[in-house]
Amino acid sequence: MSWDEFIHIVANVVIWIAYFCFIVVALRNIIALLQLLLAGWVFATRVRPGKGARDLWHRYADLALPISVIAPAYNEELSIVQSVRALLALEYPEHEVIVVNDGSKDRTLDTLIEAFGMKKTERTQIAHLQHTRILGVYRSKRYPNLLVVDKENGRKADAANAGIGFARTPLVCVIDADSIIEPDGLLRAAEPFMYDDDRLVAVGGAIRIVNGCIVKGGSLHRMGIAKEMIPRIQIVEYLRAFLMNRVANAHLNTLMLISGAFGLFRRSTIVEMGGYRHDTVGEDLELVVRMHRFLRNKRRDYRIAFVPDIVCWTEAPAALKGLDNQRARWQQGAMETLQRHRGMIFNPRYGRIGMIAMPQIVLEDILGPPAELLGYLVLPAAALLGLLDPMMALAFFFVSIVFGCALSVGTLALEEQQLRRTPSARDLLRIGVAAIVENFGYRQINLWYRLYGIVRFFRKDSTWAAVPRVGFTEG
Amino acid sequence: MNAYQQVVLGITIGATAVFLFFLLLVFRRYIGEKRAALLDARDTAITRSYLHRVAGHKVDDPKKWNAKAQLAAVTRILPLLRGGEKTRLLQIAELDGVLWDTLYRSHGIYKKDRVNAVHLLQRVGSEACIGRLRELMARDRNDRVRLEAAFGLAANAALPPPRETLRILGAMDRPPTRIDVALLRSTAPLYPDQMLLLLDDDLDSAWRARIIDALGWSESLAVIDAVKNAAIDPNPEVRNAALRASAKLGHPAAADWILPALEDPVHSVRLQAIRAAVQLNLKQALPVILQLRNDDELWVRLRAEEAIEHFDPSLLSPPGDAKS
Repeated sequence: MSWDEFIHIVANVVIWIAYFCFIVVALRNIIALLQLLLAGWVFATRVRPGKGARDLWHRYADLALPISVIAPAYNEELSIVQSVRALLALEYPEHEVIVVNDGSKDRTLDTLIEAFGMKKTERTQIAHLQHTRILGVYRSKRYPNLLVVDKENGRKADAANAGIGFARTPLVCVIDADSIIEPDGLLRAAEPFMYDDDRLVAVGGAIRIVNGCIVKGGSLHRMGIAKEMIPRIQIVEYLRAFLMNRVANAHLNTLMLISGAFGLFRRSTIVEMGGYRHDTVGEDLELVVRMHRFLRNKRRDYRIAFVPDIVCWTEAPAALKGLDNQRARWQQGAMETLQRHRGMIFNPRYGRIGMIAMPQIVLEDILGPPAELLGYLVLPAAALLGLLDPMMALAFFFVSIVFGCALSVGTLALEEQQLRRTPSARDLLRIGVAAIVENFGYRQINLWYRLYGIVRFFRKDSTWAAVPRVGFTEG
Repeated sequence: MNAYQQVVLGITIGATAVFLFFLLLVFRRYIGEKRAALLDARDTAITRSYLHRVAGHKVDDPKKWNAKAQLAAVTRILPLLRGGEKTRLLQIAELDGVLWDTLYRSHGIYKKDRVNAVHLLQRVGSEACIGRLRELMARDRNDRVRLEAAFGLAANAALPPPRETLRILGAMDRPPTRIDVALLRSTAPLYPDQMLLLLDDDLDSAWRARIIDALGWSESLAVIDAVKNAAIDPNPEVRNAALRASAKLGHPAAADWILPALEDPVHSVRLQAIRAAVQLNLKQALPVILQLRNDDELWVRLRAEEAIEHFDPSLLSPPGDAKS
């Protein structure tokens, strides 16, 4: 092969890579645009939660399916008492709070015992889903609907499984110990079960970022916006994920993810499936994908719903340190799930899950991040070397960056038009600025973290680093 | 212009439109915040004006306020008033034409608008509102609107007789939901006799069970014989409903069919019987409940333990005795 031929082949490869990157990024954004339009239509035509049904529900409380709120806790000594008080105070006809102390090294268990007058008790575990040993079960005389399960450390999936095993209610709500549930969040999340004809197996709810809000007694006291840009940008990311992606996917019955911070499930289905998997870092995504697979394999008619109103608030990493691990873990989890359930991809047996939802995850999580990052390097380089029309490089910039800004601002507009949960016009503008700033640096850094997640996946790295928390702003 | 230039131009136009729309929303919010104090003062004035008018005092001409703000004030005040004052406020509001817009919207093309109108009509609950809710329940083309109108009527204790309610909602053609149960329960105190007549129809067991359940909320002891008969129905779902209804009615005679139900061959009936025994505090059920700790069904054993804890915690045997 001559040098010229070699250069020619390299040039062709570069051009094909450039086209590939362009197409992948454009496809991702076109799908996002379609999701935004669909979400806009869903919001515009939806009937807002009214008082009518809820009045009847209050009158006939026994019709509301009892719920066990499962809160896995690991080293939560400082905040656990307030969190549990807030959970006990949730507005719902019948709910039990099951705190699972996942082998905390601090005084989480002692703090709970002292604060709530817990006494050791015997309670039959209905389903043994966890892999670790249960060390004790505690009940409170003062709070009959509080149960504390003490177990050896085994990570969140294992703790959630232990809690689910002790639950006796038809529904279980799995949360993070530091999740702040809206006072009527359980009611709103459980409302789809009122209209259900026994097909509904799970409900997800919209989650917002608590950074910058004032938290009092474990409950949200006043909404606010964080001073730092990183959490502000994450507000935009969460809005895009929950208001655009999940609303649209739930409408098409292709919801593939119910966030680990808040998810309501039919207990019998989760137990039948064997609970959360322990060998993945993305147990929440894996659970829902497996749920689809399991129910479709059994040819059951089922539904997974999503409540677009905010039901829960969660703390986001306040700086890039912490965000890196979180995003790498999400990416690794997505890839582990895709690898485990690769048989579903483009498999008509799984209907729209196999033909639409799974390929969408492949595009989003496998092809998307490397293609976009590569595109930032290859397209300008190819244009400078005269291999491509410089207009194509500019178009790539517009498709990724400007289109991205418009999608984010469009989601913000949807939120303001339909939910209006941003505290003030000033804050709205601040988030709007974050939606644009996000695309100049943050987005690319994030792609880098996701590439790191891909590397971790190939390395089969199972280490789990906790995201550093700065804690809530106490009122 | 090549394809890439078209992409750039298209995205530029689209993005500009989105940014402008967003800025418009920010500006709208800003204006809203600036006017908040003014609007609060206006709302206070409207509220005060209505309270004065209800009490028969002279007030300024109310027409200077818009109907939406007036309606908001009326729905705020209504829950605070009772009897004659409430009736007077509703009459004044109707005379002011406060409901015109809502009634107009209840004829809207979009389901969402009609349902939102139903929610408002329900909250106000005047004669005109009830009339319109009945029309919507009977004739609206959308199932959800008819159902919401039924809620509205139920909340105002104005549901039509049960047979009509079920027919209008097309309920018998589908499996019952929890919402249907709630509607039946709210109809039961208004029409206990008609609920009993419904049982003479050729119903499937799911609906028969829901009607028996609703009898428990009828507050009428005339239904007790029907509940007693249902307690020995061949269908376990109906027997369960009879036990629920018995517990709700709280009639002492219910012990006659709750105690045998503790030994029912179907475990869900045994479970319901334990629950009914606890709710009615039937201590005579304790010996059978003690035996149920060794039931084959895990859930029955668990509920039996909870029941024993309720009746006499000292009877709970040391842990490990019951099957696990």
